[in-house]
Amino acid sequence: MLWIALHLPWLSLESFAQTLPGDAAGKPVALLDEHRIQAANPAAQAVGVKPGMKRATVLALAPAIVFGQADGRRDEQARQAVAQAALRFTPSVSLESSDTVVLEVQASLRLFGGLRPLLQRLQAALQPLEHRIQIATAPTALGAALLAAWRRDLVLGAHTVDCAALAALLSEAPVWLVGRGREHWEALQGMGLKQLGDLRHLPRSGLARRFGPDLLLDLDRAHGDAPDPRTWATLPRRFEMKLELFARADRCEQLLHAAGVLLQRLVAWAQARQVRVAAFTLGMHHETRLHRMAQPGSSADEGGRDAAVPPCTHLTIAPSEASADAAHLHTLLAERLARLGLPGPVLELAITCDQVLDQPAPNGELFASAGSRREGLLRLVDRLQARLGHESLRRLQAVADHRPGHDGREVPLGSAAAAAAASVSPSALPPPAARLLRPLWTLPKPQPLRDSGAKPMLDGKPLQLLAGPERIETGWWDGDPVTRDYYVAVTATQALVWVYRERLPDPDAAPGWFLHGRFG
Amino acid sequence: MDPSSAPHPVALAPGLAGRSLRGRKAAPRGLEAASAEAHETHTAIHPSLWWAHQLGGSGTPTVATGFAELDAQLPGGGWPHRVLTELLLPHPGVGEMRLLAPALAAISRGTAGAPGAIAPSRCIMLFDPPAAPAPWVLGQLGLDLQQTIVVYGREGARGAAVLRRLLPSADALWAMEQALRSGQVGAVLAWPPDRLGADAMRRLQLAAARHDGPVFLFRDLRVRLDASPAPLRLALHAAGPGGLSVHLLKRRGPALLRPLALTLPSVLPPALHHRWQHRWQSRSAAGAAADAVAGRA
Repeated sequence: MLWIALHLPWLSLESFAQTLPGDAAGKPVALLDEHRIQAANPAAQAVGVKPGMKRATVLALAPAIVFGQADGRRDEQARQAVAQAALRFTPSVSLESSDTVVLEVQASLRLFGGLRPLLQRLQAALQPLEHRIQIATAPTALGAALLAAWRRDLVLGAHTVDCAALAALLSEAPVWLVGRGREHWEALQGMGLKQLGDLRHLPRSGLARRFGPDLLLDLDRAHGDAPDPRTWATLPRRFEMKLELFARADRCEQLLHAAGVLLQRLVAWAQARQVRVAAFTLGMHHETRLHRMAQPGSSADEGGRDAAVPPCTHLTIAPSEASADAAHLHTLLAERLARLGLPGPVLELAITCDQVLDQPAPNGELFASAGSRREGLLRLVDRLQARLGHESLRRLQAVADHRPGHDGREVPLGSAAAAAAASVSPSALPPPAARLLRPLWTLPKPQPLRDSGAKPMLDGKPLQLLAGPERIETGWWDGDPVTRDYYVAVTATQALVWVYRERLPDPDAAPGWFLHGRFG
Repeated sequence: MDPSSAPHPVALAPGLAGRSLRGRKAAPRGLEAASAEAHETHTAIHPSLWWAHQLGGSGTPTVATGFAELDAQLPGGGWPHRVLTELLLPHPGVGEMRLLAPALAAISRGTAGAPGAIAPSRCIMLFDPPAAPAPWVLGQLGLDLQQTIVVYGREGARGAAVLRRLLPSADALWAMEQALRSGQVGAVLAWPPDRLGADAMRRLQLAAARHDGPVFLFRDLRVRLDASPAPLRLALHAAGPGGLSVHLLKRRGPALLRPLALTLPSVLPPALHHRWQHRWQSRSAAGAAADAVAGRA
């Protein structure tokens, strides 16, 4: 057995910092517990904030510091995300303590090419989650966890693969590392027992009588002398994670940072399940409680506002091709959020995903090929559609009809109609021709022309008719009949236009000439 | 860029001045040795150096226009990739798409580049065209409709058409820039609003550096006197059912004083076309020249 332990020393602090808006990066942040500092981030430590200080002292040192409180539920979700990211490398992942995750990797070593490449890939996979992680390797789970938690200054802690070396390492470890030892730390200090090695040399019966059997059990488990059964973490079939924001967000940009955190967790989950995300939903829970509290005795206006603010706004993002690329999904989300107007301030974000594509991702390519080019184009289309709207990107489709205005359709890209248009056989497409029969630019509404005598006038100059008439008389069956004589005409500036005259004068419409198109 | 600063002045055969020179890496086929040597000498200093009296090498790949007389006058021998090309028109519908059609057809059907080489068919994006283009006509011009995407800016799709023509919409410019930057599009055709600022043009020009294909901006003829970062600017004037008068306003090379008269695919049936051409020629050696001059002024 070979265990890798991931110790998250600043889990509470980091999971709190993730709820702050994005512009808070680099500002001092500290966790408070009963008016004393529990943990402080590097920016706070740089100005002299240390754990154990009083709140007032810290405010004197750093007036702009943001205080938060540790939240067990929030930490648990962050730890779950780390475990889910680790599940990509082995099915045996277990939650060791509140800030440590252990994974058994003996069976994965061969697949990933040894321990060192595996550790590198593990670190790369965990990096987007933005936690400081201390890693250690040992033949027992508890031994690895102790080694990972020991040296605060090392990101990659001790690595050992045999029990004798582990015992030698552990004999120098301080007693506070073992959970039970921490409770009895003062007693152990008084007895001059500072390292785990000192405990191992004492008679077991006396140790068990004084400190209970659990301390001995932990020591035995760490050394591999006692069995250590575990419950394994599993991946949920459906992804759902919530993040309560530190401050209510009035604008969409303030949501981006927290949504990005959730998105990284979603991608870690999808990669562990070896699926790609086909669609996900961002739920934004609005602040309605304040209005409800103000409602008794308040004016109708307050009640109206309460009714106007829904409890939750949902935004579903479906990329045109399923993706497990966090950057791409984040771009789409940012564009959609920028267009969205929030009906009310947002308190909590949640991302749910149950539409996945259960297929391995396509292989990466060294040189661009048709497949990668198509994917690049799809991503561009996604990005444009996210900002401009779904209807703004259109594909042209030729329709077999003589009437101008009925001879073509524009179908939005990505719709069912566009898919049908894309599957049209090449023989149904208009063939290249030596001579143009119709104008490229058709005016959406024919423009009436003044005429002098028999000749139509455009911009005050007479048009010279070159070819025609081309009689178009059809469409009586669908309520838009056309009975017109079309002519190609040349303007005074030698440009070609397409003009027509109604064959049967319509009693309702004005008689005369109309401009209907220009030859581009 | 000043030719007098070139350290090795090389005498050129006079007949070769103004001939098109291919890019540095392409073999200068069909050119005489003196010209090739001269070209090598100053491109050895810097690829974007050229003599003032001859055409510059574009330094970027080009796609042939399909019109031999126009190819001969363009640096690099075709529509340049990776830079903006401005086409100035008095109004839409002078034959501009018939001018671009051979190049666009080659890009959309993957027959651009050297014959025999396998080129992928690539996408063509039209941004805010002046009207909905007729699909049959695009097909007749040789474009692959499967590879053609029309993009309407958000305000453009909803707002008043008049406003759209006047004021630049941030969304439309953003979309154009994204398409250019992505490098995934084969050719971009854009009808930007009239009041396009110099900074917006500059942004587009920078974005176009990542775009491996031609970019055509269709703008009103009124902006011909404004400064522009586009290295190639052409003014187009209609010239009857099968013709187009192209005036090269700006290129890397000497100014071209006379407009080029190109023959486009005709709109008329052959018999009518010949009759019209007869009348056109008989009416005016003088009249047509006067028209062209009037159109340019």
